Amino acid sequence: MTSPSAALLAPDDGALDLAAVVKALSGSFAVVTGGAQVVRQARLDTFDHRLRDAGLVLEHQVTAAEGRLVLIGPDAVTTRVTPVAGLSWPALAGALPEGALRDALAPVSGIRALMVTSEERRRVRRVELHDQDGKTVARLQLDEPVAKTSAVPAEVRVLPLRGYDEAARRTSTILAALGLRPASDDAVLDDVPPPASPDRIAPAPVLLAGVLREFLSAMQANLPGLLDDVDTEFLHDFRVAVRRTRSTLKLGRPALPDEMRSRWEPAFKWLGDLTTPVRDLDVYELDLPVMSGWLVAAEPADLGPFAAHLRRRRTAERRALVRGLRSARFTRLVADWEPALTDLADVDAEGSTVPTAGELADRIITRTFRRVARDGGAITPDSPAEDLHSLRKRCKELRYSLEVFSGVIDKAARKQAVTDLKGLQDVLGRFQDSEVQRHALRKFAEEMVTDGTSAGAVLAMGELVGHLDGEQDRAHQDFQRAFGRFVRPSSTARLQSLGGRG
Amino acid sequence: MRVYASYNIKGGVGKTTTAVNLAYLSAREGARTLLWDLDPQAAATFLFRVRPRVKGGSHALVTRKRPIEEALKATDFENLDLLPADFSYRNMDLDLDDTKKRTRRLGQLLATVADDYDVVFLDCPPSVSLVSENVLHAADVLLVPLIPATLSLRTFDQLTRFVADSEGRRPEVVAFFSMADRRKRLHREVIATISRDQARVAVTVIPALSIIEQMAELRAPVPAFAPSSVAAQCYEQLWAEVRP
Repeated sequence: MTSPSAALLAPDDGALDLAAVVKALSGSFAVVTGGAQVVRQARLDTFDHRLRDAGLVLEHQVTAAEGRLVLIGPDAVTTRVTPVAGLSWPALAGALPEGALRDALAPVSGIRALMVTSEERRRVRRVELHDQDGKTVARLQLDEPVAKTSAVPAEVRVLPLRGYDEAARRTSTILAALGLRPASDDAVLDDVPPPASPDRIAPAPVLLAGVLREFLSAMQANLPGLLDDVDTEFLHDFRVAVRRTRSTLKLGRPALPDEMRSRWEPAFKWLGDLTTPVRDLDVYELDLPVMSGWLVAAEPADLGPFAAHLRRRRTAERRALVRGLRSARFTRLVADWEPALTDLADVDAEGSTVPTAGELADRIITRTFRRVARDGGAITPDSPAEDLHSLRKRCKELRYSLEVFSGVIDKAARKQAVTDLKGLQDVLGRFQDSEVQRHALRKFAEEMVTDGTSAGAVLAMGELVGHLDGEQDRAHQDFQRAFGRFVRPSSTARLQSLGGRG
Repeated sequence: MRVYASYNIKGGVGKTTTAVNLAYLSAREGARTLLWDLDPQAAATFLFRVRPRVKGGSHALVTRKRPIEEALKATDFENLDLLPADFSYRNMDLDLDDTKKRTRRLGQLLATVADDYDVVFLDCPPSVSLVSENVLHAADVLLVPLIPATLSLRTFDQLTRFVADSEGRRPEVVAFFSMADRRKRLHREVIATISRDQARVAVTVIPALSIIEQMAELRAPVPAFAPSSVAAQCYEQLWAEVRP
């Protein structure tokens, strides 16, 4: 087992004395010093830090002579390197050269683009330590910032080689004797303080203002990536924040001022509607590989014109979306929403008639659960699709209420209740998605026929509609079992207890 | 993990230079590559400046008294590790003979490092032996260097029959001409007339060049010390033909 590479800093984070390092090591090794190279090092990750969460470090290192990607594994030893040229960021893993690095990276980054999270020019010098056969037994990398104002100090990294751990250990000991001390990587991690714990007896508007502010932050964080079309998840996450905002405004009506209903509910409905067409088209594009697998008579290539149609439609719809997000209406919405939330949180609890956070949570969870139980119990095998769609919306309200009030209800019971609900939501989601996709495919096919597309593409889309029809039937059949599980005594008791009626 | 074995019954045909140069090219492309020097002469081990010593020798490896991870050595090149040879490998046949599934043991040992490597090269000793049988079972591709001479072709026939007669999974056999001298009429004729019915024969021909012999002097792969040489280009072409 090779030990991880160890970074060492000069005393007081000062400059490194290469001559002293070489002299100290010369007693044990033949020291071969390479020339200094200025390397532009860009650290990469997805917007939601998937690489960091998986313990991976990805760097794009560019010198005057070459560019390369370096991926360091969670053990800080396994390193994959691949030469690259002409890469620009952000980019999906699919844009990287084929090979081991991409194979290791792609499952982690998934559909998210790789973006530059930090960038710096460093002066890097490699030193090789040889044994008496001229074999390299350890390497040193001396790495100094080019800019004097850099927050990252100069460091020496001992790079051990497999099977030569003893040489690396000896090197580290010699360097420690020179006064170099180990660096800690902890400082590079985001130091985010934990959110303040909400209080059950706090006024409900204070809690609602807090969660609404989180959703606003999510919208603002995702907006640049959405406008630049970095990857599809920026729009998805933006929409989730809008949807949660709308649900919170609706669920919180008993504790919110009238302005929230009259002004802000329509404002966020507009925003949600603005983002829907592009997201719908994204879903079809992302699902195309799976849909191709449904084909029996047709070939996946027959769906080529459908893919092209989606792309054209998306380009047009994205233009409208970007126009909307750059409009004065959107700018005003964001600019006015922030102070509105500040006002909302500024409630005088003394003599106030607004409910407390705990009271509102109990009331909302009880009500939304009752509605799900009532509407779900009325579903029969002959119920129309609208009834299942309506039930799905009730389930979402219950799910959002469990999320919005998560800070003031029992954590373990909430987690289990979400699990109970998820099974039912999955079945309803399959039913509704099949319904919507069937209708949309028909509409797309009509548009494509008008545009003079080939019969092969339309026939293939017909097969997809047939598959969705079957999937919808299966979801309908699965409904009673999923609903039965959701209203079984243990689940019901759990949700009633969360609503303060246990 | 894809396993290539550089193998021929005959010695001195360029097995080691092939394994060393192709392993280097594989690693240079970013694939995590391992070269296992199975030849007790340890020529590949010497070329990478690694000491030909394995703790416990062939016996400890084959009987799993020591995991092969403990014997692995990094070479001077990124992504390229070496499992060195040791003079005790001359007894590997005997060590294998004492194990269960004696013709599959090397494949089993390689499976223990399958997560660590994308590509493995086996540099095999020139013989027909239990080690060779293990190599046939472990390899996906058998790379067979052939000197363009009548006797070489006869040996190649023997080798393809040996592969065809082996039980179970068989590797793809890819032969290529090595140490070819186009000034020699016989070499030209053999290259032109070889039958491609029995096995795949690569288009690339590795010429007899002194720069390839310099590998032993400089102790490095040709594309590392002479990247724009004809020899380096030939190995690159050969790798392009057989790479995963």
